[in-house]
Amino acid sequence: MSLAELVPSPEALADRLESCGYLADEGLATALFCAVRLPQPLLLEGEAGVGKTQAAKSLAQMLDTPLIRLQCFEGIDASEALYEWNYPRQLLSIRMAETQGASLDEASLFERDYLIERPLLQAIEHDGPNPAVLLIDEVDRADEEFEAFLFEMLAESAVTVPEIGTIEARQPPIVILTSNRTRDLHDALKRRCLYHWIDYPDLEQATAIVRARVPQASIELTQQVAGAVERLRGLDVQKPPGVAEAIDWVHAASLLGVVELDEDGVERTLSSVLKYREDQDLARAEGLSWVASG
Amino acid sequence: MASSADLPAICTAFGDLLHQAGVPVTPERSARFTTSVVLAEPTSLHELYWLGRVTLTTAHDQYETYDRVFRQVFRGLVDIADIRGDAAESDEGGSPAPALPGEAPAPDTGDGGGGPEGRQGSGATPGAIDSDADADHASALAAVSARERVNDKEFSTLTDEELRLIQRLVEQLPFVPPLRRGRRTRRHRKAGDIDIRATLRRAHRSAGDPVQMVHRKRTTNPRRIILIADVSGSMEPYARIYLHLLRGAVRAIKAEAFVFATHLTRLTRQLSTNHTDVAYRQAAAAANDWSGGTRIGVALRSFVEDFGRRGMARGAVIVIVSDGWESDRPELLAETMERLSRLAHHIIWVNPRKAAESFEPLTGGMAAALPYVDTFLSGHSLRALQDVMDAISEAGDRVERSTRARARLAS
Repeated sequence: MSLAELVPSPEALADRLESCGYLADEGLATALFCAVRLPQPLLLEGEAGVGKTQAAKSLAQMLDTPLIRLQCFEGIDASEALYEWNYPRQLLSIRMAETQGASLDEASLFERDYLIERPLLQAIEHDGPNPAVLLIDEVDRADEEFEAFLFEMLAESAVTVPEIGTIEARQPPIVILTSNRTRDLHDALKRRCLYHWIDYPDLEQATAIVRARVPQASIELTQQVAGAVERLRGLDVQKPPGVAEAIDWVHAASLLGVVELDEDGVERTLSSVLKYREDQDLARAEGLSWVASG
Repeated sequence: MASSADLPAICTAFGDLLHQAGVPVTPERSARFTTSVVLAEPTSLHELYWLGRVTLTTAHDQYETYDRVFRQVFRGLVDIADIRGDAAESDEGGSPAPALPGEAPAPDTGDGGGGPEGRQGSGATPGAIDSDADADHASALAAVSARERVNDKEFSTLTDEELRLIQRLVEQLPFVPPLRRGRRTRRHRKAGDIDIRATLRRAHRSAGDPVQMVHRKRTTNPRRIILIADVSGSMEPYARIYLHLLRGAVRAIKAEAFVFATHLTRLTRQLSTNHTDVAYRQAAAAANDWSGGTRIGVALRSFVEDFGRRGMARGAVIVIVSDGWESDRPELLAETMERLSRLAHHIIWVNPRKAAESFEPLTGGMAAALPYVDTFLSGHSLRALQDVMDAISEAGDRVERSTRARARLAS
């Protein structure tokens, strides 16, 4: 199926995502729709644990294409993001040619066999019925120079390897960038991207999401946990728990055989949702029964 | 909807309105909006709303303006007159940026603290330095002697002329950022780890035997500097100078700049423009609590939560300029400073009142914060500012945390 058939409208995209276990609200569905159909890179921002990365994963699953992930970090450079020559292998080939007395010209040393493909090149080279989903995670952690390099690639959907030539994408990948806003991204990068801010889901939706992800847990437990997470977020905690924490919590609770969230159940599982000692103290001061049932 | 021949014109007009309201919308974005409308063929306002928001905005904080403009254009025809009135006023102002904080009520949490009486930004913003025209005409000698004259002057006792001079000098103070070890490596002649890849490549020249070793060593990078200045009423005489220090730092070493009185405002973007007057006008418009009350604890906490913890403060040198007069609970400040001191590499606290002979760090806020401060300085005159510069550039080496500050408090 072509992309236009797969995602004729934002609602259809939301429905398909739901069957992959990801519940997207109208805004996110519209954003993903535009990213796929325009096509244009999409910049997703939001608090940690609201499902930025999962959105890309589920999109790839839905389109049945590989998810190619580039995790950014300080000091990342082209050889880690794009391609690198396999030096040890080149050297081995030279030695082998020497011992066998065969002649080896330089051009054959710089062939595709010796090229190590990194995520960006993989995404461009991908050749399937549908384009690959390229997830550039936490782009704010990379250096500004890398950002400049990145948007050149985003604009052209092509990579130039001096020894081989320009490799052009047969299908430009669907690009999703995420950022935690540790620094302002460059305007030039923002200009090229669609933008969407993912909010915390409301109680009802959070319950539905957790149910979709942890179907083995009881409905009551899921509802209680979703409510408790929302209460904890209302507290003045350092790291407000998101959907990811709610899912972890339900996992932990059902693993320990907690069927209903009571004071004792909270006590045993609190560390799966609050990861700072100060935050746990705060919750305890408020009372564990309050956490469990409001 | 898609059949309408005027669709591009309508979409562009909407983009223009948004632009006037302060969301930077380029023609390119308007075009993208148009394409998305053609593609998705929205049948309800709801769908149109999302398409526009995804394609036209670039940051979370633009959503409020976007919502307002969208409502204005597509809903409740009754409202239009009122809101247009506002928009017309802001148009007269010439620049769209200051219109926003004025229209949207300040996000004041409203529990005590300072009132919004200091809203009129012009009071506290310096009447803008007169670019460099003055300096060009004055002879070099005169400039030097003028500098001598103001070097030791207390910032709170300046004439207008001296103030302008100092503001210009402060902006040009030489910032030397401290260094930290970087993640990247660079080729080095003899020291450092062996670079296997380069060594092997060089071995091609010597028949595959690695004769020459190539070394690589970690680079050093400048540390991030963050300046947070108090612009509340009690700090007013100093704020008009420190704002220029902020701009100098932002431009010279890409520092991050924040100001606070009742709440925190990030000014890095506003202060980094080339145009001096525009920079300070934008800064004044962005921070709408000039000369208000002080809530250091609340302001610093929002710094830690919205910026610091996400990575900005990690390993950074943080300079806080404040007299420590806290109108809120000092415990909150202590708690926040403790968190900040665990994130940051070095905290410098500049308190201009420290220069007074009778000064003792006993005001609630100051006493609460001091245990977590690594360097405590006065910075009340140009010469004292030089100490601040030195402290910043020396902050790279790890010092035993706050032993000095604690000793000073004890004595």
